Amino acid sequence: MTKNSKLIQAIFSAIDEVNLQLPKEQHLEKSIETGLVDTSGKLDSLGLINLIVAIEQKIEEEFEVAITLVDGSHNNSPFRTVGTLADYISLLLEEKSNA
Amino acid sequence: MPKRNFRSFLISDFTINNFAGYLNNDNDFPPVSSTIAPFGQVISVLIDKNLECWNSDPDFAVIWTQPESVIESFNHILNYKRVSIDEIIKEVDEYSSILMNIQDKVNIAFVPTWVLPSYHRGFGVLDMKNRIGIANILMRMNLRLSDNLDKASNIYLLNTQKWIEIAGSKAFNPKLWYLGKIAFGNEVFKEAVKDIKSALRGFTGRSIKLIILDLDDTLWGGIVGDLGWQNIKLGGHDPIGEAYVDFQKALKSLTNRGILLGIVSKNEESVALDAINKHPEMVLGLEDIAGWKINWHDKAQNIVDLVSDLNLGLQSVIFIDDNPVERARVRETLPEVFVPEWPEDKMLYKRSLISLRCFDTPSISNEDFKRTKMYVSERQRRSSRSQVGSLDEWLNTLKMKVKIEELNETNLQRTCQLLNKTNQMNLSTRRMTESELVGWVKQAGCKLWTFRVSDKFGDSGLTGIISLEVENKKGKIVDFVLSCRVMGRKIEETMLYQVIQYAQFKQLDEIYAKYIPTPKNKPCLEFWNRSGFIYTEKDSSFIWKVKKDYALPTCIQIDRKE
Repeated sequence: MTKNSKLIQAIFSAIDEVNLQLPKEQHLEKSIETGLVDTSGKLDSLGLINLIVAIEQKIEEEFEVAITLVDGSHNNSPFRTVGTLADYISLLLEEKSNA
Repeated sequence: MPKRNFRSFLISDFTINNFAGYLNNDNDFPPVSSTIAPFGQVISVLIDKNLECWNSDPDFAVIWTQPESVIESFNHILNYKRVSIDEIIKEVDEYSSILMNIQDKVNIAFVPTWVLPSYHRGFGVLDMKNRIGIANILMRMNLRLSDNLDKASNIYLLNTQKWIEIAGSKAFNPKLWYLGKIAFGNEVFKEAVKDIKSALRGFTGRSIKLIILDLDDTLWGGIVGDLGWQNIKLGGHDPIGEAYVDFQKALKSLTNRGILLGIVSKNEESVALDAINKHPEMVLGLEDIAGWKINWHDKAQNIVDLVSDLNLGLQSVIFIDDNPVERARVRETLPEVFVPEWPEDKMLYKRSLISLRCFDTPSISNEDFKRTKMYVSERQRRSSRSQVGSLDEWLNTLKMKVKIEELNETNLQRTCQLLNKTNQMNLSTRRMTESELVGWVKQAGCKLWTFRVSDKFGDSGLTGIISLEVENKKGKIVDFVLSCRVMGRKIEETMLYQVIQYAQFKQLDEIYAKYIPTPKNKPCLEFWNRSGFIYTEKDSSFIWKVKKDYALPTCIQIDRKE
């Protein structure tokens, strides 16, 4: 499995986790196009918090690297879609490996 | 108890939405829909029952708080300030009395115990020091809460610490707290949901009453038919042998909670019984076993036959077998039977058994403690039945005594348990909590009698309930409930005799009963069809004109206690 597909799988696994808390009609689809917080997004602020924390946990389990997705240093843009979030996490992982 | 989704009301001083999500989405019975009380308003919600948030008319509530938010002086303790234990206990008492308000608002209330995050070291080496350590004080607070809530029969304190232990390092996540004011990790909420669902199943009469066990490689190691009882693996200085003994001890302990044990095994019966009777390290004896089917027939069929012999329903059975093929066969053929996955490692047998979440009941009565003994008596009774000609002749040899009592403090718990657990001989399958039942009996025109049955083989305990609602010279039998333990022994007729006697005393005109069908209460309809009451299509009721006597069965001697 490539690093990128491992990353997407970790995010999908976090989506599975969050879907367990959501009503069926609000379930997130496991796709890189899935909207998170933009106008097409189904997540409210609490849902987004749960997703962020779940992704951080999955990334730590999968890559053995602790990342912080919310530190106040950026606006919400990385959380537009699953795809943009994956790109952002990929960048963070690269920064960590270069550090 | 509702037949629709259970409605829950969640009152908390932290964001409890995640817990609500898991509770609503959990697929296990019963389905639940949750409403969440306004954030952080625990006390006002508990005190003011006129608040709009109560409009959902919940069946049960969960009141989940953090100790530092409802017990102010505990906050000082967390800041390592000295506060007298009396002051803290006084606050716990005040909070408890507010909590007690909820007992009239919902049928059931769950209160998770107070905990601190596992990473909080408190006073370190002094943390369990009497009246000083934070952990010590928190334990005292929980025990005081438990003492106080004991006065309410429908408030249940749940052990949060167990959920924390299972969740391990995921029990607390500071990030969830700072970002969302979520006090626990989601693993804790998932465990809480499992426990609450298990409790609700118990309250709705769906707890397991009978464990059916395989023998070879389940109760002991090896095939007794091949090895002989002298060579099976059981006890001794051997880790696997010890594990089998411990598993048997755990099973025997469950009989003290009123859980019955049965055996379904592919073996020669005489060989298997020899092992049970003669092996010196067998913990379980035939006196612990309610019944068995040991032969070479299909296990699923044997389970059906055993359950029928014991007058139980398949939904109250768990089947434990080391063989995955037998498990799959029973699972496929008898979907009502609970067949858990079972570990290959024998040293995990006991752990698997005692961690099962299928034995929850809202209370434990004296009848529960004696249940196995009662079923063993029943086995002897059945054996005596085969030696006597007609049913009536046999019943006359039993020397049955029936003690009739009205509902009172001493029989309330068992009466409620019987009302909520009985499925087969149950006219209306009305489920009620203790407080609901007491409230119903207090109403004008409402009467309820309980029936305790004993005979020369032993005491079957409180096994029958009949209740009556009188209006305009007519009496309606509301509950007609009889434990399967004594079905078919003329107790049914004795219960009707009691009601007709009362109706004659009160000069009523008629007594009637409406049978409400469920998937499980056909035996009740069969009894009413032969009860002597006349069925009328017009009212779809069974009717008895009171001027006519209803005979007391000759095999019954009544002991009345009004």
